[in-house]
Amino acid sequence: MDEKITEASSKDNYRQEPKVGVYVCHCGGNISDIIDVKAVAAALAKYPGVTVAREYAFMCSSNGQDLIAEDIKNLGINRTVVAACSPSLHELTFRNVLQRAGVNPYLHEHINIREQASWVHKLDHAGATAKAIRLAQAGVEKVKRKDPLNAIRVAAEPRVAVIGGGVAGMRAALSAAGKGLEAVIIEKGPGLGGKLLGLGKMYPSGEEGPAIAGKLEALVRADKKITVHTGADIDFVGGFVGNFKINFKNADGTSAQVKAGAIIMATGYQHYKPAQGEFGYGEDANVVTLPEFISLMKNSPAGRLEYSGKEIKSLALIHCVGSRQVEGVHKPQADGKINDYCSRTCCSSALYAANQVKDKYPGVRIYDVYRDIRTYGMQHEEYYDKASKDGVLFLRHNETDQPVVTSDRTGHTVKVKDVLTWGEELEVKADLVVLVTGMMPADISLIRSQMKMPIGADRFLQEVHLKLRPVEMANSGIFIAGTAQYPMDVPEVMAAAGTAAAKAAILLAEPDIPLEPFVAVVDEHKCTGCGLCPAECSYDGALMMAEKNGKKVAVVNPALCKGCGACVAVCPVRAINVAGWTLDQFDAMVEAIAKE
Amino acid sequence: MKVNPELIDEIKKYGAFDISACFNCGNCTAVCPLSKEDSSFPRKLIRAGHVGMEDKISSAIEPWHCYYCGECSATCPREAQPGEYMMALRRYLIAKYDITGLSKIFYKNGWLQTWLALGMLAAFYWLYSSYTGDFGALAGKIELAFPVYVTIALGGYVLNMYRYAIVKPLGGIKASLKPAHIYETLVHGFTQKNFNGCEETDWTRWIAHLLVMSGYVLTLLISNLHLLSPLDKHYGAFGPVSLLVWYAGLAILVGGGIMSLRRMFKSAESSKFSHPSDWLFVVTMFLIGASLLFTHYLNVAYGPQDPLLAKVYRLNIAIETVWILLIVPFTKWIHIFFRPLAVYFQHVKKEAEAGTAFTLNIGAAK
Repeated sequence: MDEKITEASSKDNYRQEPKVGVYVCHCGGNISDIIDVKAVAAALAKYPGVTVAREYAFMCSSNGQDLIAEDIKNLGINRTVVAACSPSLHELTFRNVLQRAGVNPYLHEHINIREQASWVHKLDHAGATAKAIRLAQAGVEKVKRKDPLNAIRVAAEPRVAVIGGGVAGMRAALSAAGKGLEAVIIEKGPGLGGKLLGLGKMYPSGEEGPAIAGKLEALVRADKKITVHTGADIDFVGGFVGNFKINFKNADGTSAQVKAGAIIMATGYQHYKPAQGEFGYGEDANVVTLPEFISLMKNSPAGRLEYSGKEIKSLALIHCVGSRQVEGVHKPQADGKINDYCSRTCCSSALYAANQVKDKYPGVRIYDVYRDIRTYGMQHEEYYDKASKDGVLFLRHNETDQPVVTSDRTGHTVKVKDVLTWGEELEVKADLVVLVTGMMPADISLIRSQMKMPIGADRFLQEVHLKLRPVEMANSGIFIAGTAQYPMDVPEVMAAAGTAAAKAAILLAEPDIPLEPFVAVVDEHKCTGCGLCPAECSYDGALMMAEKNGKKVAVVNPALCKGCGACVAVCPVRAINVAGWTLDQFDAMVEAIAKE
Repeated sequence: MKVNPELIDEIKKYGAFDISACFNCGNCTAVCPLSKEDSSFPRKLIRAGHVGMEDKISSAIEPWHCYYCGECSATCPREAQPGEYMMALRRYLIAKYDITGLSKIFYKNGWLQTWLALGMLAAFYWLYSSYTGDFGALAGKIELAFPVYVTIALGGYVLNMYRYAIVKPLGGIKASLKPAHIYETLVHGFTQKNFNGCEETDWTRWIAHLLVMSGYVLTLLISNLHLLSPLDKHYGAFGPVSLLVWYAGLAILVGGGIMSLRRMFKSAESSKFSHPSDWLFVVTMFLIGASLLFTHYLNVAYGPQDPLLAKVYRLNIAIETVWILLIVPFTKWIHIFFRPLAVYFQHVKKEAEAGTAFTLNIGAAK
């Protein structure tokens, strides 16, 4: 075991005779309307090893909790079974009751007789009651065999590594530093600022992209807790929560390493680059992408929208280029997949750009060719309002009838089968065609494969749960900030980066990190060193073969192990168990449930 | 079809300033009580305007079905005023049908027609006042000339409307000979039946409209048949002609009064927006009614020799002259003929689609 990982000792209940208390919850009427809770309690009271069995209206209420604490105090109960709702709802509640009463919290078993009995057998009260009894008895068998467990504590580097120095990385580093953490920004490019440097006026404030980047950079440079490495080419990322190592080469070729307790992925996006010939891109000079158009607008003289010396009097915007692609209609990307996701920000950006054109050059005709306008952000609908009131003409096609761009000496023609004009094929003449391109994730394949980071179908980094854990990755200690996760605009990136920094700060608030003790444990006496188990392990470095006392055995790194049990399943000699979920416990539960 | 963004700019010159805000949701068409499967509006016409389908707009008869109840404008989530757009289309179409091109100039140039009307009124009043001969006889001739002038003007319009709505889009001279269709057209002409198709009937508006229309048609009959010779005859208060005059004058005053008040207080969707020509129309109508009543009152009370009567009568004829010459042919007055015709043309279109329309083949058949 790594010297950094320790199991905190606590008073245990090893050698005590198991005295099980069983508590049956009514859950209001959720359980007791169907299940005869008195009968369940009575049956369990007679069960071997059970000292006391009670039922109560709401076990999770403070009165219910007190009931358990009293029994622990007065009757010497040292193991509990609560037959109630789902463990995801209240298991922790009752573990805490045990902890407060001086019993190891892992000597608790939560049995779900609501979802698994009363709710699913509403018409069979007797059957549901019998099932609840069996489930609770199995719980008793399991809890009798439980060993006290202690949270694994991992000593952590008090530092967060932020990969990427764009708006997300800078914001995340600033927020982390603001919470007292050391932050290290590792940026591939020559300077800070990322994609903002190439953008013009940005909604909603109308500030220029480089100006926003400049403001953030000034704050970052002034913060003593933040270290910045630019021109850094990462060649290795390894380690685990609390102890990550990032190796990179500096611009001058020297190697460097950053050790960090947590990593924030602020690796950002890349603009979708249209394929050669997609809507004439790369073939006709006057077909440009929206980012290209934005810089073109910046460089145009006042009063005259100009591109390569010629005045632009009309332009056609084509939305969803490289986004919301349709199987069989669009050419797949290099990996064989299409981009079927919506890039979210492009509708608002395109309309914002169109409005700038209308403000600066009111005479320019603008045609907006779209599938759906998705101005989703707060007050973004106003950009659409303004554009339509200023006479931007919207033409809508459906997903299978893509617009077609053709060119001749007089300019470009965009043909659209317009669903608003009852499917009529309309032709617009435009001096310039602007392809409203979306976002694709930046290429971070090296980091991703070394850390086995999960990605979604859209190739962006994937969070654990979009609502409940929106910036955490399945890899403990790695957080996502900004467009590495999915297309966002700057306000959203700011919010996400702040959240990621807060999560990292919570994780690293104490010098060591507590982890759940449900990890694989190898019985070195039984282990034959056959080597089957490491091949099954999905978490790099969690399970490896090693020499111990002159014998080849499987060794688990508890900081990396997720307790999935894949190794348990392949071990031919039952040498591996997941703590808290051992094979013996399962055997006993099965026997209790299946007995005549 | 090539998109022509100029067309909507052109239509906007006739009103409908907010129509660019339309995002084609179709709520207007859904709530419109007069929009039917075979003639669906306003959404389609708005879109046709936006993308510049000039042929579709100039052949449209739907604007003549619309009585501007304002349901669409009240329902429009974009406040694009589709009802006002239909009004603008009616003006646009009148300008289109008008062979002289004067309607177009008047509609686009705000108060020009009003100034011209005031100038003409002064000129004619001066002319009539300085006439030394028998003015009663002259007035008779003038009044009898009115129907000839109006018929010519109207004939031009109707032929042009027929050309745009039927001949061009259907590619030939087509008609419906079904008696039921012809009868329905006449019914619509006399009763303005569609007015009440508007879901929540605006009774005040309908009554005002009916009063003005009946009063006006009567006035037309009275003057064009030269029923009144106030300088030559002394009328009793309750003679048949007098009763007609009392009714016509009062109907116009009351109806016109209601209409003006509504325009002034913008009490309904239909009267929220006023084009200068709307005011000219209502006010002139009001003046015709008032001068007619006053003339007749003076005749009944003081006899044909009354000196004030001579002046008021000249003013009455001067107003009518300006009305006939300048206002009738170049404003929405003309629409009283287009509405029933639109009902008829709708039948022609439907029959043409079904292949049952009467077709006159000139030259080589297609």
